Amino acid sequence: MAFKIASSPHVGSTLQTAKVMQRVALCLLPGIATQLYFFGFGTLLQIAIAVITAYAAEAAILSLRNRPIKSTLADNSALVTALLLAIAIPPLAPWWVVVIGTLFSIIIVKHLYGGLGNNLFNPAMAGYVLLLISFPVQMTDWVSPMSAAQQSVDLTYALNAVFNSASDILVIGHNLAIDGSTMATPLDTLKTDLSMGMTTHESLAKPIFSGMAGLGWFEVNLAFLIGGLIMLKLKIIRWQISFGILSALFICSSFGFLLNPDTHVSPMMHLFSGGTMLAAFFIATDPVTAATSHRGRIIFGVMIGVLIYVIRTFGGYPDAVAFAVLLANMCAPFIDHYVRPRTYGHRSGS
Amino acid sequence: MLTLLEQLDKGSLWQSPGGIHPPELKQLSNQQAIGRLPLAKQFVVPIPQVGEQARLLVEVGQTVLKGQVLTEGTGFIYLPVHAPTSGTVTAIKAVASNHASGLPVLSCIIDADGYDNWCDLITSDPAALSNDDIITKIKQAGIAGMGGAAFPTHIKLNTASEIDLVIINGVECEPYITSDDRLMREYSNEILKGIEIIHRLLGPQRIIIAIEDNKPEAAQAMQQAIHLSKLPANSTRVTVIPTKYPSGGEKQLIQIITGKEVPSGCLPSQLGIVVQNVGTAFAIQDAIYSGKPLIERVVTFTGKNIHQPGNYWLPIGTPVAAALELVDFRPSTTQKLIIGGPMMGYAIHDPYVPVLKGTNCVLAPSNEEISPDSDEKACIRCGECAIACPALLLPQQLFWHAKAQEYDKAASFNLQDCIECGCCSYVCPSDIPLVEYYRIAKSALRVEAEEKVLAEQAKLRFEARLQRLEDEKLAREAKAKEAAEKRQANMKSSDKDAVAAAMARIAAKKAAQSNEANLQSIVKHDANDSTGVDKKSAVSAAIARAKAKKAAQSAEQFSIENNATQTPSNTHNPSDSVVEGGISQQNLIAAAVARAKAKKAAQNNQAITSDEAVNGLADSSTSDTDPSLNDKKAKVAAAIAKAKAKKLQQTEIASDSADTEPNEDNSITASANGAMAKKTIADDNTDPAEQDKKARIAAAVAKAKAKKLQQVETSNVESQLSSSSITLEQTPNLDSAVLDKKAKIAAAVAKAKAKKLAQQAEKKD
Repeated sequence: MAFKIASSPHVGSTLQTAKVMQRVALCLLPGIATQLYFFGFGTLLQIAIAVITAYAAEAAILSLRNRPIKSTLADNSALVTALLLAIAIPPLAPWWVVVIGTLFSIIIVKHLYGGLGNNLFNPAMAGYVLLLISFPVQMTDWVSPMSAAQQSVDLTYALNAVFNSASDILVIGHNLAIDGSTMATPLDTLKTDLSMGMTTHESLAKPIFSGMAGLGWFEVNLAFLIGGLIMLKLKIIRWQISFGILSALFICSSFGFLLNPDTHVSPMMHLFSGGTMLAAFFIATDPVTAATSHRGRIIFGVMIGVLIYVIRTFGGYPDAVAFAVLLANMCAPFIDHYVRPRTYGHRSGS
Repeated sequence: MLTLLEQLDKGSLWQSPGGIHPPELKQLSNQQAIGRLPLAKQFVVPIPQVGEQARLLVEVGQTVLKGQVLTEGTGFIYLPVHAPTSGTVTAIKAVASNHASGLPVLSCIIDADGYDNWCDLITSDPAALSNDDIITKIKQAGIAGMGGAAFPTHIKLNTASEIDLVIINGVECEPYITSDDRLMREYSNEILKGIEIIHRLLGPQRIIIAIEDNKPEAAQAMQQAIHLSKLPANSTRVTVIPTKYPSGGEKQLIQIITGKEVPSGCLPSQLGIVVQNVGTAFAIQDAIYSGKPLIERVVTFTGKNIHQPGNYWLPIGTPVAAALELVDFRPSTTQKLIIGGPMMGYAIHDPYVPVLKGTNCVLAPSNEEISPDSDEKACIRCGECAIACPALLLPQQLFWHAKAQEYDKAASFNLQDCIECGCCSYVCPSDIPLVEYYRIAKSALRVEAEEKVLAEQAKLRFEARLQRLEDEKLAREAKAKEAAEKRQANMKSSDKDAVAAAMARIAAKKAAQSNEANLQSIVKHDANDSTGVDKKSAVSAAIARAKAKKAAQSAEQFSIENNATQTPSNTHNPSDSVVEGGISQQNLIAAAVARAKAKKAAQNNQAITSDEAVNGLADSSTSDTDPSLNDKKAKVAAAIAKAKAKKLQQTEIASDSADTEPNEDNSITASANGAMAKKTIADDNTDPAEQDKKARIAAAVAKAKAKKLQQVETSNVESQLSSSSITLEQTPNLDSAVLDKKAKIAAAVAKAKAKKLAQQAEKKD
């Protein structure tokens, strides 16, 4: 009889892309749960809308591109993109905000660049930046943490806020602000206060900063850190990028804080507020848009860390994760070109 | 800081980057001792080197004995091939090879007779042999590296480099394979004997037997054998290394044992290291002590579809299919049959391929054991491949460029350093057959390099051809020139005169043509044709010839001239060089004149003639070569000189009354030459003391006068001559400004005059 022919190796590991993505999604769960606890059901709604939109958009664009739909949808990459975007946007943002963001992420940022593996920018972050620039009001009205607002955002409230706001965006936004269920994020508040001449000390005395780095935010970041450490343990991600981001951010913020504590926030605030941990473990580690070599990844991470600090401290936006990641994405091919490991039997560089 | 030797003795290990830990599955086949399968009925012995560096020693129908050498050859990498059993050669043909390609290769088909009779074996004691003898014996035994690559062992053992360290590779890092494991367990003493021989040949300071820690029994057996061996104390040790694929790769093993990296594109021997497989050491021992060539090896038959897995001694050339029948192989519908391990082995399509010297394993896995066929998905640049790569490459970048067929870029990422271990493919979450891409890219680069070499060779060839053609052309020209010179040198003076005369005549004609307007009427009379320059010159040439003929005839009628008794053929003309360089008219003229002069001189020397007259002419002719003279005048003079020469010659010939000239034309021209010369001598005799110009003018005028005389149809030659003498005396009075034209006219007239003379001569007859 004739036997089957195949190229070596004839065995392979069982860890497939779909499984990797699935595990990434699972590792997001602690963070998502914490976020739900502190900021109410809004996030869950955003996630649902984002995931449905992402799969629909991916299926549509795949059929337009004449690519296999079922097997591609099964790689779970759209799921991860949708989750990251949904987590990043305010829980009570109107539904169309997340829909626009997801469509942009999947169709334009991912598939118009060639689909999974070929996109230059992190789809979730590009979608987030689009929304932040286009709808700054909706994107900066964040729900107050539960204990601060003294009232919970239950599912009905969240549904109402997310789906009934389409007709009158500004009114809803103001209403929400007035009834105290939404407010600026701690980093936003701090920036505003500093610009108004307050010292960090004065600003940090506000109730929003209760806890280590702002109520709720610290816990959420901690949960993402835990999820990230699980991924490291499972070897879904490697340490270089996360280490680069966190160490660079820590060093930069420590310098600033030591130089002038009145106008600079503490390293702790930087590390555990805003989207730092989410970025360090889940966003910047997207291998497609990161550098590939070990050293390159450290450089890539350090770059993001420094950019986060610089934009947070000197830039116009309260948080800087998305911008930092996108800027570093642009540099990734450049880093890859110049940072190559020394091959066995070669003296240096290439 | 410990020295390397101290660290080797301590058993220090270094880390090899990358690597993977696939399921080992060695226990499938390493549980029982190496068995022996019944002899196959037919053997296929590939003889790929036949036709290149070897020739076959057997023919179809011949009976061979076990161990009998089948080929004979020379060359560095030639290895003899031996009959694996006794039997009959039934065919010599190309059959499918045991190779990933399965391409047919020339093979010797031997039908076993079942007796398995050995040929005569020469056993020897290595102590009695010189190193060269041992190397020769190893080569004669056809020993090749048994780890898989099958590189001729005698080359590795005959290195020019100083070897400090020999590593005996018993790592066997591929999953499933246990042939070396069993061999070490059961034949450790024999392997050590082989190592002793290697030690003797290479003289290393240390020998390290490297074994992975998943083979403790083998390590123990080898350790015991070291104590029993005759190797120097503390020179040899077993170093157990951690199990990791691909630690058994030569470069990786060197790195683990010594911490050194083999520089890219170099051999380990350049680091003073040689790596030999344990199986090779066993084969060396067999070849030296028993005299047995390498005709059998241990092969692991394993995989869950082989129901009697284990290790078996198999003669080289046993068809895989024949062996599979004996180990209870139950193929599934989508069975893969792998030669080698699951990481680097190749799947074969046709099981009727022979076991080779490097075939260490036949793997028949069930479908659960191997990765299912899955479509390649998009690379997500996760970088797991780079982490797994033992060569520290960036496999995802290599893949990216290889897939885009940017092979040069792939090469810039050191594609050539890829050892094709398969770690990257193993870890790839997107099921990308990375190694396959690299193989394609490598072969494309190889083809490209070969094409480049061929193109370079073609270019060199083309340039060489152009150079050769150029050289040939130059050589031909030089030869032609030489021949021409020789011919010139050997040429009869009459021929030379003829050539010179012809040249001078052409020059004169040209001079005449340039004054066509003035000449026209005269030319009409002379040539009966005034329509064109060409015709005129042709006609004038014809006339000149006719004239010369007439002159000759008349000369024949006249009494024999006293100066014409010499045959001109013996006369060597001293003015050859003028012919060579004579392109300009002036040169031609000068040549003609010089020749005429020479002719005269010759005549002067060889015959007693009117010397003074000749000398006078020679003088005047010589001064004609003065470059200050104007062209036209010179030409006219040349024409005259030439005519004179012709006449002279004609006279000579006439007086000879024998035709010695090679052809008619020459004779005619020569005759004319002679006739003219003679006439001119007569002219010149009348006024030898005249100035150059005047002399020439006089000559011209004489001709003009002759023409006039002709017009009035004077019937007496003597009167003509006297008239010309008179005219010559008158010439000094002529205005120098009109000399040119007149001279030319005179030249034309002279010809006509000569014609008349000839006619008159005829009439005289």
